[in-house]
Amino acid sequence: MALDLVRRLFATRFGGIGVVILLAVSILSILAPFFASSGPEDIGSPSMLPPSWQHPFGTDSLGRDVRSVLLYAGRSSLTIGFCAAAMAFLIGGTIGALAGYFRGPLAAVLLRVTDLFHTLPAIIIVLFSVSLLGASFWLQVAAVALAIWPIEARLVYGQFITLSEREFVLAARAAGLSTGHLIFREILPNALPTVIVQVALDASTAILIEAGLGFLGLSDPTVPSWGEMLNRGQEFLELAWWMSVFPGMAICIAVLGFNLFADGVTEMFNPRATAAPPKLEG
Amino acid sequence: MVRHIAGHLAQALLLLIVVVVAIFCLLQLIPGDPVQAMVGDMPVPPALRAALEQRFRLNEPFLDRLFGYLSNVAHGDLGYSMNYRRPVFDILAERFPRTLLLAGIGYAFGILIGIAIGIHSAVTPHRGVDRAWSSLMLIGYAMPTFWVGQLLVLTFSIQLGWLPTQGMGPMISRAEGIDWLIERATYLVLPVATYTILETTRVARFMRASVAETLEQGYIVTARQKGLTRHEVIMGHVVRNSVLPVITVMGYSFGTAMGGAVLLETVFSYPGMGSLMVEAVRARDTQVIVGVVIVVACSVVVMNIIVDLLYAWLDPRIRVAAAAR
Repeated sequence: MALDLVRRLFATRFGGIGVVILLAVSILSILAPFFASSGPEDIGSPSMLPPSWQHPFGTDSLGRDVRSVLLYAGRSSLTIGFCAAAMAFLIGGTIGALAGYFRGPLAAVLLRVTDLFHTLPAIIIVLFSVSLLGASFWLQVAAVALAIWPIEARLVYGQFITLSEREFVLAARAAGLSTGHLIFREILPNALPTVIVQVALDASTAILIEAGLGFLGLSDPTVPSWGEMLNRGQEFLELAWWMSVFPGMAICIAVLGFNLFADGVTEMFNPRATAAPPKLEG
Repeated sequence: MVRHIAGHLAQALLLLIVVVVAIFCLLQLIPGDPVQAMVGDMPVPPALRAALEQRFRLNEPFLDRLFGYLSNVAHGDLGYSMNYRRPVFDILAERFPRTLLLAGIGYAFGILIGIAIGIHSAVTPHRGVDRAWSSLMLIGYAMPTFWVGQLLVLTFSIQLGWLPTQGMGPMISRAEGIDWLIERATYLVLPVATYTILETTRVARFMRASVAETLEQGYIVTARQKGLTRHEVIMGHVVRNSVLPVITVMGYSFGTAMGGAVLLETVFSYPGMGSLMVEAVRARDTQVIVGVVIVVACSVVVMNIIVDLLYAWLDPRIRVAAAAR
């Protein structure tokens, strides 16, 4: 079953590339000590050396090997991506499911709250929370999750609204099965493909937001991240382009991985959605 | 039609009030001394403390304070920034038009170019063209906006030396008239270009999907069968019907564009609202942060109303239904 799903994902246009990118980025970060030439805090080299055989991505203003810092920084950037998306799924999924299943005044209130958060741009919400609560690593994850959950809630709500009208759910309801069974065994599994796509997209959004936060110098200063590397690089843009170009590429690749994976899953479950449109000939 | 508009306005106003109330409640949750939070990281003399406590009714019950705050906001009193030593409203009035200029131009260019690319991508019979555009747009989407800005600065300012790296104008300028305008425009080129790239990638993705969906409709087949040329079908039927959903989506995401300003303005040291927000967060200047959040919320709501009206005007079904009521 699982193997079959993987095979189908690899058969889509981009799904396979997405999975390979995500795996590669994760492995490189998790096994950073094996691929890095020095530790993330190791300032032994001369500062701001351009890329060379010894330092393929050059060294930064403090004399650290940019490649090594990049690998270690990937850990926190990916953690934020995964954890913020998971949290957003838990908050948004719960609210969306409650509103979509029970409807009525509860749904109206929950959807209003969702709209409220949706009115403000994510980065503004994150900046607002960080300015109120401070910027320790896990607060930052929570702030990002707080900013991206409304999309998830909207989506799950929509899925629940459509699915709970379908025959198999009505049949289960008529058979007298419990609410819990209806939500978790009937509706949720059928909403899952759509939800997985959104969680992957949320993870990429979270990485981009973290990058922005780090770039503004507002992320946890004790944890190296790609955004924080870009913040350091901005100051030396004229002298050391490699301090900015490589972390940006890393972000771009990770975000691309999540998006390609999402595209692949969409295509796998709904081939029409991403198939090439019919062309007007002549 | 009037009722349609009035309904939207009422909803928008309600949403704004809720945003302000929510922000007010959030501010109550911050641990610590509210007076200190208002002043920022500076010592508070007792006279100032007393004045602030009286002005913001800090010693009164919660609801009284809430209504006092709402009435202040409604009168345009957003507090006083200790960091800038100016009323928050004045700072925002100075910064907001600059951001609007930057975001507005980038947004307009982005929508036009994105729509063109989306159509070209979806209707070109050659599949390779579609793939090339889709891949390019996806990569553009994956790049952090501010990093795109940095790359442009690296290429066009630092390597080629064609354009200024940052700011809104030179420190000292003797240019007048047209020269002054051109001088200012050179400073806008890179930020606007970055904005345009960001918006283009988003619009093109939506537009391609929308055109693809339109092409599957029965009336397209009918139009072809009654002998219209490919060009006539695309301009007369496809574009018209595909643009509507894209305009809605883009209108609703204007807030995201305003959010993008936060990072972009920092890259280019452009003195707009985004960089104001960042400066305020760094200085813990809560009054200014709240002011920016309120202004952004207002502009998003206003943009939503504009889109609703535009949509009603463009889509005869809504126009007729509203008129019939």
